[in-house]
Amino acid sequence: MKRETDYGHTLKAVYTPKDIEGFDYERDLADPGLSPYTRGYYPEGYRSRMWTQRMTAGLGSSQDTNKVLHKYREMGQRGGMCVIADRPTALGIDSDHPIGRKEAGVLGWPGGSLAEFEELMEGIPLTGQSITLLGSSAHSMIRLAYVFALAEKRKVNIEEVHGGVLEYPYGSLFGQDDNQPLDLTMKLFLDASEYAIRNKFHLRAGILSQHFQESGGNNAQALALEMAMLNEICSFLVNERGLDFDDVAKLPYELVSIGTRFFEEIAKIRALRRMWVKLAKGKFKAKKEESCRLLISVHTSGRTMTYQQPLNNIVRTAIQTLAGAVAGCTAIDNATLDNAHAEPSALAARMSLNTQHIVADETGAADVVDPLGGSYFVEYLTNQVEEEAYKIWNKIEELGGMSGAIKKEYIQNMLREEIIKKHRQFETGERTIVGVHKLVIPSEEDFKIPIQEVQASDSENIARRMEELKKTRNIPLVKEKLGQLYNDAKKENRYNLMPSVIEAVKAYASEGEIIGVIRLARGLSYDPFKMITCPFDF
Amino acid sequence: MDNKKRIKVIISMMGLDGHTSGALVVAQILKDSGIEVVYLGTYQTPEMIVAAAIQEDVDAIGISFHASNHFLIEEIIELLRNKGKEDILVFCGGTIPEQQIPKLKEKGVDEVFTPSCTSESIVEYIKSKIRR
Repeated sequence: MKRETDYGHTLKAVYTPKDIEGFDYERDLADPGLSPYTRGYYPEGYRSRMWTQRMTAGLGSSQDTNKVLHKYREMGQRGGMCVIADRPTALGIDSDHPIGRKEAGVLGWPGGSLAEFEELMEGIPLTGQSITLLGSSAHSMIRLAYVFALAEKRKVNIEEVHGGVLEYPYGSLFGQDDNQPLDLTMKLFLDASEYAIRNKFHLRAGILSQHFQESGGNNAQALALEMAMLNEICSFLVNERGLDFDDVAKLPYELVSIGTRFFEEIAKIRALRRMWVKLAKGKFKAKKEESCRLLISVHTSGRTMTYQQPLNNIVRTAIQTLAGAVAGCTAIDNATLDNAHAEPSALAARMSLNTQHIVADETGAADVVDPLGGSYFVEYLTNQVEEEAYKIWNKIEELGGMSGAIKKEYIQNMLREEIIKKHRQFETGERTIVGVHKLVIPSEEDFKIPIQEVQASDSENIARRMEELKKTRNIPLVKEKLGQLYNDAKKENRYNLMPSVIEAVKAYASEGEIIGVIRLARGLSYDPFKMITCPFDF
Repeated sequence: MDNKKRIKVIISMMGLDGHTSGALVVAQILKDSGIEVVYLGTYQTPEMIVAAAIQEDVDAIGISFHASNHFLIEEIIELLRNKGKEDILVFCGGTIPEQQIPKLKEKGVDEVFTPSCTSESIVEYIKSKIRR
């Protein structure tokens, strides 16, 4: 069995003061609430603000997902909601698209129009909880428009809505359902981010290392990538969009994946806080202390959820949730025990939420800030993962930053190699997974968990709803707004499309139409799958 | 048929599924065992996959799914049947609920690999089913 970190650093049997020689408390850690924030952002930790305890929802129709959101609130979801979009939505096509209609409502919520968002949010407040919407990058601009439009309708001040709606432009590299070219997702992401910052929205953008890590990347790589992505996005917003860094710093939030390597996961998050301070102060000359505090959310790892003996996954989730709590984070959403089988069943979702409450209320982990601070081992690991991450990050910068490294396929190759290496380590038994490599039982002896099945008829119903909407809305208005968007998208690359996207969304233009029209104006095919053509001419 | 010809298999994602890790790993395992792999990648339609299978003259088609609409695979089988290419084996793997496996097999999917299967079991399956 390998005794090394997940990024291949050999571990010793014991750690002593010698392993953190030169350690300086004020410089390297400092009290919670003080820079470099290794120990966290709040002097009182969870006593002043408990982490948001949430579950990701999204399956079937908007009505189905709305019911789940209500159910999660009953089950003990606290502080925020999180919904993920379905595949057609993530890929910028409508649910009535020839391919879209086969997968609408699969793996997420069908967020193809404002009508769907209105139904999703029926009876769910926009304020008093954080609103997190996930999906893909291009669609995230439309999600922002949904929130804006619904707030306006409900006469809620948009500045009072908080959460994370926008999503980083690199997801297609990391096994995400995202198919738009990087230059397009980057442009749309920067447009939406600039708009949100200039209008003082408290809606953040996810710059996520989670997708990379869940695809198989290791902790040091994930940390490096996170920093490279943050650096590139912030640089573009400051240098190209002329924004002040202290305003830009309010935009990003990071979603970290936490696996079962307990101490390493904690070290990674502590190192991330420290690395962000160095970037914010060193490169971007942050003037406000607030800009040096990167919001960090945790997603416990779906990748570690095994198919065999799924009840073991409850234990894994508990360990990962405890790691997230000890590391210090603003929100946790959990993987579920049935992740390797299907979408979360109600039972599995309940178990995950219960896990968070057990960690929060029963273990005492929420009582004391950074309880592992000062541990020779954890401080060593924090230094180590930071050092490894800087090496990889420097390499990425040498290749021209994140976009440059992607163009040169460095990121793709790094991930591919790591995925295959990990797979081999598990198959050869260098690393062990209980129930898979040891303590294996015949499948007929395995506990049968409830399975959330997907029905093809659900997708067809969602498709019909989209067809109906397209017939019943004010068609001349839709055409006018899409025409405006088309004209704007033809203007110079830095012309911000967010205002015309909001107008189109308010007129109930669909997502496929909005993205399609933008694509068309940029010389791409209206439909990324080239199966349908634009129903309007401009 | 030429006995020396290597076994040739398509590994593909289908529909709107972008979760490629599983497909990448399986493609590598098969390559390492001496099987020729045509990796089609993401966002393939049944038509594209069948066209590639015929053009590349493959012995089998393997589809990787990540919590998806698994029944899209039925369209591949139907297309193969229409083109008189039923001899091309169709198998799949991924996060597929156990209850759905008999239904998929009923529709003509030759084998379904769940996340619990080993590399050897996939290689062995292909090598025992296909003798060139």
